[in-house]
Amino acid sequence: MEEIVNNFESLREFLKKMIVDILNLEDVTVQEIDNDSPLFREGLGLDSIDALELVVAIEKTFNIIIADEDVGKKAFASINALAGFIQEGHKQG
Amino acid sequence: MEFKDKRVIVTGGTKGLGRAMALSFARQGAWVTLTYSSDDASASETKAELEGLAPKHLVLKADVSSKSQVEKMVETVLNHWEYVDILINNAGIIKDKMLLFLHEEDWDQVINVNLKGTYLCSRAVIKGMIARKYGRIINITSPSALTGRAGQANYSAAKGGIISFTKSLSKETARLGITVNAVCPGVISTSMTDGLSQEVKTELLNMIPMGRFGEPEDVAWAVLFLASQKAGYITGKVIAVDGGLI
Repeated sequence: MEEIVNNFESLREFLKKMIVDILNLEDVTVQEIDNDSPLFREGLGLDSIDALELVVAIEKTFNIIIADEDVGKKAFASINALAGFIQEGHKQG
Repeated sequence: MEFKDKRVIVTGGTKGLGRAMALSFARQGAWVTLTYSSDDASASETKAELEGLAPKHLVLKADVSSKSQVEKMVETVLNHWEYVDILINNAGIIKDKMLLFLHEEDWDQVINVNLKGTYLCSRAVIKGMIARKYGRIINITSPSALTGRAGQANYSAAKGGIISFTKSLSKETARLGITVNAVCPGVISTSMTDGLSQEVKTELLNMIPMGRFGEPEDVAWAVLFLASQKAGYITGKVIAVDGGLI
């Protein structure tokens, strides 16, 4: 996991796969997820219930806690934002 | 053995209804954690009963209105058993007084134990339930929440809040395999009803179409049903077990 987190490109791919797997996104492939598009609403179309699953999965996988909605909104702004958030949290942890 | 190896927490589980629920779960093969706030004697008595029924059980002292105590209690359960399948928010207190005499501490204590306790315990287990995409939360409410009762402004508000909490939380978790329901027991035979005068008993019985008080097991069966896998399509509901009272 250390290797994945330290490599931005691998981390982005890992996160895309995690999102597709955990949320059972049947109509979306990893390749279709854009790095800069919003994950929620107009972007990938995820909603607040999906966010609950992602928050729990990120804590379990990376041991990084998203404790409030404001932090979550920034972290889930896009794949790039999420990967950056995890790298930052990993450094601090 | 519907609940074989299911991990259950029953708050306020050493007396009355909670005890009946806990023992019923134990008889069905569940791993049962009971919490209690102060009555060590009842706790040891119920623990002794559990010994023969549930090889895996925990009896933990925790004030459900305290965030730190609830978190510690759930952490202990997770350390022993890894996860929680079922939470029964049963712990409750009454401090009945007419509003004119209902002091702030009477209000706060009843709201904190009944309503805040339900929130704190649910919050402490929800993360694990989301991760496993499975969970059953059952909250115990009261007819007082639905019809009101003189002298119970605090208790009615807390129990009414529990119903609203149940409905909202059920909508958050429905897609995640977690159901949230409430059970509303009517007048149930417990040490509390044993102490009532014959006159009050008769008055109460006249209000119950079935003409009898409920037994703790009547309530326990409803709770066990909602906690079962078979009840997976029921969420956000209040089931009254009251002999037709409401």
